[in-house]
Amino acid sequence: MSTTELSEEYRDCFQEITNVAMGQAADKLARFLDVFIILPVPNVNMLEPSELAMALGAVNRSESVSAVCQGFIGSGIAGEAMLIFNDSTFQEIAQLIKADTDDSNKLELEILMDTANLLIGTFLTGLAEQLEVRFSLGQPSVLGRHVNIEDLIKINEHRWKQTLTIEINYKIEGSNISCDLLILFTDDSVNILKQKADYLLE
Amino acid sequence: MSISILICDDSNFARKQVLRALPADLQANVSQAVHGEEAIQMIRENNIELLFLDLTMPIMDGYSVLEHLKKTDTNCFVIVVSGDIQPDAVERVKKLGAIGFLKKPVNKQEIESLLIEFGLLIRPPL
Repeated sequence: MSTTELSEEYRDCFQEITNVAMGQAADKLARFLDVFIILPVPNVNMLEPSELAMALGAVNRSESVSAVCQGFIGSGIAGEAMLIFNDSTFQEIAQLIKADTDDSNKLELEILMDTANLLIGTFLTGLAEQLEVRFSLGQPSVLGRHVNIEDLIKINEHRWKQTLTIEINYKIEGSNISCDLLILFTDDSVNILKQKADYLLE
Repeated sequence: MSISILICDDSNFARKQVLRALPADLQANVSQAVHGEEAIQMIRENNIELLFLDLTMPIMDGYSVLEHLKKTDTNCFVIVVSGDIQPDAVERVKKLGAIGFLKKPVNKQEIESLLIEFGLLIRPPL
């Protein structure tokens, strides 16, 4: 069976599961930063790597970005989660958490890793719970810092094929802070995900 | 006595989840809407007594629906069903007049107790 197509029924089901997991992750971050997070309608689609850059709502093409990625695997499903920040947002987040350090390099890295851990971890737990599976998470790693978004995607393009992609653009109310959470599943995962969705669609 | 219910969510899957979680002994007329604008039109044209409302929707979101119902003084119970579980979200929809907030995925018992609490479902004493 070709995985290049996703019926509207499956897409709708994955999007709804994403809604729930995205809300749980936003709740965690909102409590951590003491802010309100504006939730989008998430994008769930089969995407080519070349379409990824276009799909990133939060990212301003003229600005430099930093990104973290973390692999996950379990119950026949595998993929990568990515969190992408515009570099200009770090300063605002630093103010929110009342950081008091002069080492902006270290602080940026901390913010990047902490936010990624929190959003990616909570999102994947929420997703797994609904699908009744379990994921183990790999070590998070920095995919790029202060780079151009098209370069970031280009450098990493070989890692992905056309794949099921979830894109969520989180925005913090009353600020310019916004980040993109991307979940890319491996090709082989799509059929398993469909089987899991079948239980929910019964 | 039958109650007329509207389920408003952009996801067909989510609407079905609510539909399936309704108590079996609830006599209801259920219609569905895929976004806020459609819901408001249906509430205006039909006598909807209870609305299950999602928050995050294209075209017109749940907050705008609540604001509209409040402004027009519409007599309709609203239960928000949402994945947005931030404390602020719950507080905001209650302020806008929602009688209840159910987190997704909806749970049969939670719907039942809300309906009983507001006299929308009457169970004979055991």
